[in-house]
Amino acid sequence: MKDFKITYLGENLLLHPFKSLYWERKKILLLADVHLGKAAHFRKSGIPIPEVIHQSDFDRIEGLINIYRPERLIVLGDLFHSSYNNSWQTFKKFCSGKIKLVPELVLGNHDVLEENQYDFLIVHKDKIVLNPFVLSHKPLETDRLNEYYNLCGHIHPSVRITGYARQSIRVECFYFGKNHGILPAFGSFTGTSKMPKRNKTDKIYAITNQKIIHLF
Amino acid sequence: MKSSTQEKYKFKIALRWFKHNQWKPFPFQLETWNAFLEGKSGLLNAPTGSGKTYALWIPSVLQLLELQNFDLNRSPTGLQVIWITPLRALAKDIQKALLQFCNHLGLTWQIDTRTGDTPTNLRAKQLQKAPTCLITTPESLHIIFSQKKSIDFFKNVKIIIADEWHELIGTKRGVQTELAISRIRNLSRFNLKIWGISATIGNISEAARVLTGADGNPVIVKAQIEKKTEIETIIPEKLDRFPWAGHLGLKLLPQVLPIIAKSKTTLLFTNTRSQTELWYRGILNVKPELAGTMAMHHGSIDNNIRLWVEDALSTGKLKLVVCTSSLDLGVDFSPVDTIIQVGGPKGVSRFMQRAGRSGHQPGGLSKIYFVPTHSLELVEGAALRTAEKNKIHENRSPIEGSLDVLVQYLITLSVGPGFEKREAWKEVRNTFAYRNLPRKEWNWALDFITSGGRSLSNYSEYSKVNFHNGLYKVLNRRTMTKHRLSIGTIVGDPILKVRYNSGGYLGTIEESFISSLNPGDIFWFSGRPLEFIKLKDMTVYVAKSKRKGGKIPAWGGGRLPLSSKLADLIRQKLENAKNGIFEEIEMIKLKSTLELQQKWSEIPGSSTLLIEKTSSDNGHHIFIYPFEGRFVHEILSALIAHRIGKILPITFSIAMNDYGFELLSDQIIPIEEALESNLFSLENLVEHMEECINNAGLAKMKFRDIATIAGLIFKGYPGKFISNKHLQSSSGLLYEVFNHYDPDNLLLKQAKEEVVTLQLDYQRLLDAMKRINQQKIILKETERFTPFAFPIMADGLRQKMTSEKVSDQLLRLQKQLEILAN
Repeated sequence: MKDFKITYLGENLLLHPFKSLYWERKKILLLADVHLGKAAHFRKSGIPIPEVIHQSDFDRIEGLINIYRPERLIVLGDLFHSSYNNSWQTFKKFCSGKIKLVPELVLGNHDVLEENQYDFLIVHKDKIVLNPFVLSHKPLETDRLNEYYNLCGHIHPSVRITGYARQSIRVECFYFGKNHGILPAFGSFTGTSKMPKRNKTDKIYAITNQKIIHLF
Repeated sequence: MKSSTQEKYKFKIALRWFKHNQWKPFPFQLETWNAFLEGKSGLLNAPTGSGKTYALWIPSVLQLLELQNFDLNRSPTGLQVIWITPLRALAKDIQKALLQFCNHLGLTWQIDTRTGDTPTNLRAKQLQKAPTCLITTPESLHIIFSQKKSIDFFKNVKIIIADEWHELIGTKRGVQTELAISRIRNLSRFNLKIWGISATIGNISEAARVLTGADGNPVIVKAQIEKKTEIETIIPEKLDRFPWAGHLGLKLLPQVLPIIAKSKTTLLFTNTRSQTELWYRGILNVKPELAGTMAMHHGSIDNNIRLWVEDALSTGKLKLVVCTSSLDLGVDFSPVDTIIQVGGPKGVSRFMQRAGRSGHQPGGLSKIYFVPTHSLELVEGAALRTAEKNKIHENRSPIEGSLDVLVQYLITLSVGPGFEKREAWKEVRNTFAYRNLPRKEWNWALDFITSGGRSLSNYSEYSKVNFHNGLYKVLNRRTMTKHRLSIGTIVGDPILKVRYNSGGYLGTIEESFISSLNPGDIFWFSGRPLEFIKLKDMTVYVAKSKRKGGKIPAWGGGRLPLSSKLADLIRQKLENAKNGIFEEIEMIKLKSTLELQQKWSEIPGSSTLLIEKTSSDNGHHIFIYPFEGRFVHEILSALIAHRIGKILPITFSIAMNDYGFELLSDQIIPIEEALESNLFSLENLVEHMEECINNAGLAKMKFRDIATIAGLIFKGYPGKFISNKHLQSSSGLLYEVFNHYDPDNLLLKQAKEEVVTLQLDYQRLLDAMKRINQQKIILKETERFTPFAFPIMADGLRQKMTSEKVSDQLLRLQKQLEILAN
């Protein structure tokens, strides 16, 4: 499995098929929309989703840290799916045992835990400005960007492409538009939404099991 | 001999009433009364509008009267008779008919209906003080089971009647009915009598056994009402040699109008709700003067409008009603003297049933006109006439062992009074559907509702059904409410209400249609052009519009597949044509089309399997013509694509109709090589089927319904969007999750089985494969699309089958786009 290097505003960004983005110069690993605890939330409401599904999320986080050895791990919102359940403890244990850094979280609309439950993380309420980027959960309105390029999540982007013989295929992607670079949803138990019609200058990097493919 | 004098007395009551109405009982009615009063259960095979209701209601009343020594002033205590109907719209009509006899006798028995339309306070009242007879649907019965009081409610029941049983038997609602009967049999302190009423189907005695359960010994009474049916095909004056589904129909309007003009009342049946709207609009355009005497009837129109139409029909106020299967059932509309069927009815039984809606006078002639919607459907006209002559009827095969329905039922009982394991097992096993249910699957279902599945560690914090003091019970109030709202087995797209902006309800429409519209767009609904204003709170707000044109909504689930009986006859007719025999008027009209087919390729028939190979700007095409109907083709085409995909990595887009299917690829399809390696072989069939069902996404589609029935997807409270956003997930996602992380999940297994079993008997696919293996396979390379290929190619619905890696397919598509861009 190989990552894919793109350069934006002079910065090298490595896109990984595990659905992460690594900012090389700053040594920051970015993930978005992990949605931990979602399986347990469903179970509490009588919909039996097996817990193992989140194991794959932990495994991928661990794998990525071993690959890049980042100095910072920043989650762009929706780290935890719902109100508190046992999966949060699992995550806490995972953080203290398997990774040697303090994860950071930009709060997303799903992050509704009590403030003190985040005590093993660094929490950012709104956004992080790191020249030339501004990091957030939801895509920021263009007039709030102040010339920065916005790396964000929330959307769970995917695209459908079509070809000869009436073939078509839908894939998750990294979606880089004029002002926003949207990360795919990292969590294994998340859906995707189809992006609206693409602007000519938008860049789309599709995610497959094997590799990242630059579509346009 | 005391009983025989009583017998005479009993009958006298009934006969006096018949005489009062100037009726004479039919022999089948007397036969049913006798069998019923002898204590038997059974099935009455009688068409709609033949007096079937009184064949069963009269002996029911007589039996109850006998128990109170014919004291007409008394009412029995508790619920005595349950009358199950598949359509809630019919409940009121049945109630009216039942009351007539009781009123005549001066009985004051309470006869109630209980359906989704019944107000909550009335439902509560019924549970407090049970009526003597309850007319209800399978779903509403199950909702009673989810009430704590349900145990006492059923303890006096003596009689269950399942009306229009042929409509229920081949569906999961039939399974619900079986479960309900078995449960009531157990709850009642009396010996239950169970009777079904069914139109003619091929497996009538099986239908009787399914209804009466594992140890029933039902009698069958056949109403020998001989009725002559005349079938006439509307033959187009000019025929397209390149037929295109749906494009012929309205062109025949000039030939249809005179038929309507000379008839008293006409029912014009179409196969889909969209076609109904289309024809209604088409007729109104050329005959605006019909506006007052013409109506439309389909399942999505407001109930009040439907009731008005039905009423106006029976009083002879209407000249024409454009309708769908929604008018297949129900009361007798005696003024109707002409039936028109637009589009192939796809099955003999359905067609004959529709024909029977006209000419109700005894010895009357049923006349039905068949309007083909594309020229090849002319063959169906010829085939239908042969079927009528030879009295051919299709089977409606019962569904067996559905775990989703079982899971839903067990939760229903847990929401209600709770259930005890051994007793429930006995009840469930006493149904036909679960008579062979393996203990293993039963245990899995119990595990599933209590702990989410086998491995507990995997499903911690799960909460649904609790095991408590020997009883399985739901304790959480929210779970109770949610479950009661989701009882049922009819699954579809989310339904939205259509309402005028100024107030006034019009009917319902599927969300997927509305999502393709923008405010300001015009669409046709309920027979009039409407402007889409906004969508709010599950309601589509519209305004009247004067503009012509506009889209016609598509409703899901409209397409019925060709039955194997009719398919057989079509192959025979074509075989005749192949041998130069053109007998029927339809076939003579088709001669030039078929000759062109012969010139460019071959006429497919019963002795040969035709395969055509051609290429176009779109790519490389293979057409195969088994004439087995859409459902068989859906699986057969996936199987064929899968087997070719074993030769090389290749992606297909697949289209089909009832006659054949098309495999389309951007690569050259190695069909010759595939045929040499036994493309249609029965070897490894099961294994290959499993592989291709996984691959083609067919099981994923099935899983949508199963997951909803088993309660994995909550559709929300009525009139509200799903209130808890955090619980939203798509069945597609759930399918992937189970496939990955809980592959032994039995609901998953059920989805895979249903791809084959619910769409068709596995046997039917096997028969098709065997037949193909006996046919001579002819591979023709054609220069262009033949008359048989064209309508398949033009069909919009397509499925996909690939043996390529996602990344390879993506790179290939990307390369094509690159070339286009340059």
